[in-house]
Amino acid sequence: MGFLDNSGDIILDAVLTDTGRMRLAKGDGSFKIVKFALADDEINYELYNTNHASGSAYYDLEVLQTPILEAFTDNAASMKSKLISIPRTNLLYLPILKLNEVFNSAVTRHAGTKKFLIAVDDDTEDEFSVDTDGNAINGVLYGERPKQGDNFIRIDQGLDTGYELSPSRNLDSDLVETQFLVEIDNRLGQIVSKGGERAIPSFIDDDQIATYYFSLGTDGQYVMENTSKSTNTGEQTIAGPRGTMLNFKVLASIDLNTSDYLFDKLGAANTLAGKTSTSTSIKQINATVRVTGATTGYRLDIPVRFIKKQ
Amino acid sequence: MATIFKTFSSTDIASTRTLLHEAIPITGSIISGTYQRGEGGTEENIKNYSHGMFQSVFDYPFLSSSANQIFDVTVGYSSAISSSAYVQNTKKVNLYNQMAQMLNGYDHTGSIKKFQTSGGVDQDAMVFINFSRLLTKDEVKKESYIMTFASGGEWEASSKFANLITLQDLSGNSNYRVDSPVGEYGFLLSQSAGANSNNFASGDNHVEIGRVYYQAGIIALTASMGIPSGSNANQPGNQEGSFSVNPKQTVSSALTGTTIQVFSNAVRNKINKISFNNTTELNSTVYFCRVHHNEFNYSSNPTYLTASKLRVKNVATDTPVTYITSVGMYSADNELLAVAKLSEPLKKDPTNELTLRVRLDY
Repeated sequence: MGFLDNSGDIILDAVLTDTGRMRLAKGDGSFKIVKFALADDEINYELYNTNHASGSAYYDLEVLQTPILEAFTDNAASMKSKLISIPRTNLLYLPILKLNEVFNSAVTRHAGTKKFLIAVDDDTEDEFSVDTDGNAINGVLYGERPKQGDNFIRIDQGLDTGYELSPSRNLDSDLVETQFLVEIDNRLGQIVSKGGERAIPSFIDDDQIATYYFSLGTDGQYVMENTSKSTNTGEQTIAGPRGTMLNFKVLASIDLNTSDYLFDKLGAANTLAGKTSTSTSIKQINATVRVTGATTGYRLDIPVRFIKKQ
Repeated sequence: MATIFKTFSSTDIASTRTLLHEAIPITGSIISGTYQRGEGGTEENIKNYSHGMFQSVFDYPFLSSSANQIFDVTVGYSSAISSSAYVQNTKKVNLYNQMAQMLNGYDHTGSIKKFQTSGGVDQDAMVFINFSRLLTKDEVKKESYIMTFASGGEWEASSKFANLITLQDLSGNSNYRVDSPVGEYGFLLSQSAGANSNNFASGDNHVEIGRVYYQAGIIALTASMGIPSGSNANQPGNQEGSFSVNPKQTVSSALTGTTIQVFSNAVRNKINKISFNNTTELNSTVYFCRVHHNEFNYSSNPTYLTASKLRVKNVATDTPVTYITSVGMYSADNELLAVAKLSEPLKKDPTNELTLRVRLDY
């Protein structure tokens, strides 16, 4: 996409997304716009200089000169960082989502790849559950038998202030995230609970991206309040007041489990240290699981890799 | 409660209808000559079909994928002229009847209504110029259709455009008809610069030559119009013809003794230029995205925070500020259906309110 002409009046370049066109074509009434959101995808707030020597009128000089790209028609490529409505104007801190890799060894990423590895079949699960010395390998999720694996993904929410604010303070109720959206490529995997129960996607878009909603109270296996007041950095990743946390695992799709087609099409061959060898041959697909706070809009991309022993 | 969506109320959504007009000029050089391979050679933008029932004019050599069909030319006559001795007699009668049933419909007995002048005189032989939808869009704008013809001369002679006649749907806005099954139509009237000029008799001024069907994008011209007389009328070296507006004129061998393709060549080569305005009916929904002073003042942009602290604030009492670049339009289940981008960042803080007007055209 090109940049929009910003030499004259402010113009608004509007397009239907691919999903919008698909719903329009269906003709079943599913194309109905009922709400809007605002976003600032191109903005880099690091350019906002509150120490500008010429005064406050110059704080956002560089921000306002940011050129804006034309609208993308891919619904997954737009509106990445949404603006938030909070009636109060005196907030100095906002909550974030953060991957918790310190709670215990079951929630850490794989040390070598810095990703969560999803073993798509039982052979792969067995091969990469322990190394050649019999030590457990962290960051490998059981993609065929999720109930048997201990590892899972944990996201914590709260004010990560470096303990400038104490975790003993309660997070203001309007900043507590009560609903999470989890997006994953439905061709590759599905979201399951820590106990291995499969979740039902809310919808799957035209690009095969499945969206799951998990709410505090109704999805107790996934979303729970983080009541810990601990300052132990070996347990909690949010260094400040805490809100909620999200736990889940990933179930590999039948396609990945039974066929190499998607591995050959979307992935590559590699080797990985496992039980039988320090360089076991695998096929792999890199992907992302995207977690978004439905209330606060904060978004976190979690790197995952689907692996299959060859 | 923090929120990222704002629901439209019924007063935030409005439907509008706008008529958009484009000027469509078609020069004679595209219609005949621009893509001719050598003198007298193949015209690469003219497509003739093996069935021989019409001829298509493209804006570029038609074998190219970037070529667009701009109009078709064909001719037909009624059974009143029909004779088995005539060339392509059946096809010409069929074409006349097909166009008549489409454009004129049927009478009370179920018979196809002939083309007639507004005075009720039968027009038994008609030339049809059918414009593609690409050009006419939803309809031809009334009183915008102008067509100039060579009024005489050999159709392959370079001097043929020395004398021109103009056909125009004068009074199309105030004097059009609605009794056609394909919508509204107006009358194409002859125009001349002056009496007896341009092979144009004084009595020929403001005479009905044909019709323009606005919504169908079809021009129906009486076939006697401007066709040279003589037995070799459509061949190189033909005699000069005189302009005639007599709808009942016997068109002799110019029409009956030649194929539809040859006759279409003759008509096409006498067209000097065509211009009209098309009309696109834009049905729009306008969404007024009203942003109040206490809304959208914070961002989930990862660069907005450092250690969870807002970069745009030094102390809690500073006003928060954000910069809007995109507007997303969502369904009830949070699917992004449309997106709009601002051409430059728009500052939002608690001291201002905005209304962003997003228009979606259908």
